[in-house]
Amino acid sequence: MTSHFALHRRHVLGGAAAAALTSPLAAGAQSKEPIKIGSALPLTGSQAGYGNDFATGTRMAVKDVNDAGGIAGRPVELVVLDTQADPQLGINALNRFIGVEKLPMFLTAWSAVVKAQAPIANREKVLELNCGANSPEIATLGDYVYTAFPLAEVDIVKLANYVFTTLGKKTVAVLYINNDTGIDAAKLYRDTFTAAGGKIVAFEAYDPKATEFTGMLLKARAANPEIVHLHGLTADTPQVIAQMRQLGMTQRVTSYSAAYNPKLLEQLGPAAEGLIVTSLAPGVNDNPNVAGFLERWKKEQGRVPNGLPYVQYEYDMVFLVKALYEYLDKKSQPATGESLIAALLAIKEFDLPMTGKMIIDGHRVNKPVYLLTVQKGVFVPLATLT
Amino acid sequence: MDYLITLAILIAIYVILGASYNLVIGYGGLSTVAHPIFFAIGAYTTGLLSVNVPELPAVVNVLLGMVTAVVASVLLAGSALRVSGDYLLIASLGFQLGLLQLIKNLDFTGGPGGLSAIPSTILGAARGPAFLAITGAAAVACVFIIRAIVNGPYGRAISAMRDEELAFTALGRNAMSMKIAIFAIGCGMAGGAGGIYAYYFQYISPDQFEVLASATILTMVVLGGMGTPFGPVVGAILLLAIPQAITFLQLPPAIMAPTQGIIFTVLVLVFLYLRPAGILGNKARAI
Repeated sequence: MTSHFALHRRHVLGGAAAAALTSPLAAGAQSKEPIKIGSALPLTGSQAGYGNDFATGTRMAVKDVNDAGGIAGRPVELVVLDTQADPQLGINALNRFIGVEKLPMFLTAWSAVVKAQAPIANREKVLELNCGANSPEIATLGDYVYTAFPLAEVDIVKLANYVFTTLGKKTVAVLYINNDTGIDAAKLYRDTFTAAGGKIVAFEAYDPKATEFTGMLLKARAANPEIVHLHGLTADTPQVIAQMRQLGMTQRVTSYSAAYNPKLLEQLGPAAEGLIVTSLAPGVNDNPNVAGFLERWKKEQGRVPNGLPYVQYEYDMVFLVKALYEYLDKKSQPATGESLIAALLAIKEFDLPMTGKMIIDGHRVNKPVYLLTVQKGVFVPLATLT
Repeated sequence: MDYLITLAILIAIYVILGASYNLVIGYGGLSTVAHPIFFAIGAYTTGLLSVNVPELPAVVNVLLGMVTAVVASVLLAGSALRVSGDYLLIASLGFQLGLLQLIKNLDFTGGPGGLSAIPSTILGAARGPAFLAITGAAAVACVFIIRAIVNGPYGRAISAMRDEELAFTALGRNAMSMKIAIFAIGCGMAGGAGGIYAYYFQYISPDQFEVLASATILTMVVLGGMGTPFGPVVGAILLLAIPQAITFLQLPPAIMAPTQGIIFTVLVLVFLYLRPAGILGNKARAI
């Protein structure tokens, strides 16, 4: 699928306008009823930087799919609704998808929103496909809730084992944000590292609205860990690391995909050196499609995307939806929540242009974990954990 | 249709919240910002009972949610109002933030991830219309109960207490018990709204009851007309329906995101500029 996609990109770039206007496939696609893809994302509010880039990634994929003839000859139409990462607005968006747009499935992200939408998706028998949240609880939210994004148990377990076995660190301070993103992941890290034989010398939470972390960091410093694992969000992670360095803590820091952010490097400068982050999607050196995508993004947006791995998943979701609809089209089945789930489980293995092979394992998905570290102010590959 | 029904149910829930907050702050003159925490107490009590004691009927759970909110409000007002009315503002804020921290750090409440798996209670195609009928009836009942309270002799006493507490006390009336009673009635209604919310949406999280929710309910009351029986109804409808209507403008998402915030803010400012006492407010009472 990866090489097929590269061919498709050349085709599109070679004759995009002609193909769109004259190709019988594309012309036919435009005359048929569109397939609508609903996506609930934070377009405003504190998470809008990520949410808008996620939406842009999905929109780019929709354009590529439409340029290549749509899905089963039908054009694709994207409906993006704002959630502000707020559960209530997430519910409102879902009700609109179901009640007004009549969609049998929708894409969503942010753990609190995914959880709030789950009872409605289960009740209304609509496929809820998570493509950005990583709370382990998502796997248990019900029959109609599936994830295409690996949950925290994938990267955190592998990271904790890597720190103990490969880096040889025996003592860790775990600092985490006191919300559903931080708590579950911090517990996973603690349990995995302890089971491997390591010792957690500090296990400290901070408030999601906190801007001052001195008390927590002084306790962590007194525990004298060999390494620090920080599980926060994009906004607070640079602040915590900056205050660590101000307090003389020179330990190497590990984090997860939220810290894989070019803005963090700008904010921290030399303080970011040595930082290890996880990425759940292949980088430019692992998948040639990613380099092309990144160049295209820079050309269209004039900058790099916020949270590139997440954007790769958002892009790929359109291709995953395409595979589901084409499967049902071949079987002449209508697209309903049930039939789409049946297709998801029947296809099981997807080759996606940006994130590569994806195997749906029930309500979970397993993927390789790519570790990156900061060297001389840039993220460079460190290891791939399978 | 389901979309409109859900929106109508949400509006009805916020009508209860707005109307009951209006009783406390608009008619009673009690400075509090913690109305969402009583909404939360009702929602969490009902939600936890429905999950852990499934044999209890939904109506009983909602009533117990109301009772818990009333008890909490009496305890808060009884202690905070002894010093000075203004202390209620600080105490209520502290109570709201403290209780939310407690909810976030307890395992049985679901912590910051929220409480899910609340049973649906009513199943099938009739679920939406049934909830709409129940919530709508509750909202209408709340508005008219409050209207009856404030239009009667007790209402005139409330107004007298709010406007001239010293004179009111000098006449031998007990301002303290009246304040506690008003606070308890208002907070009990908010607790009931929380119970219905928990059953309908089947998920609650502490972030939904933060200070931002206080600002939303306060804006509904001020925009609609503080101290008017139907002002919060208008405020709730406008503040919940306008943002949804804006999403139907079919603007590109890149334009929609900033435009939505600007349109909404401008509309609120225009309303408050043209009608400073609120849309249904009495101009004579405008500050």
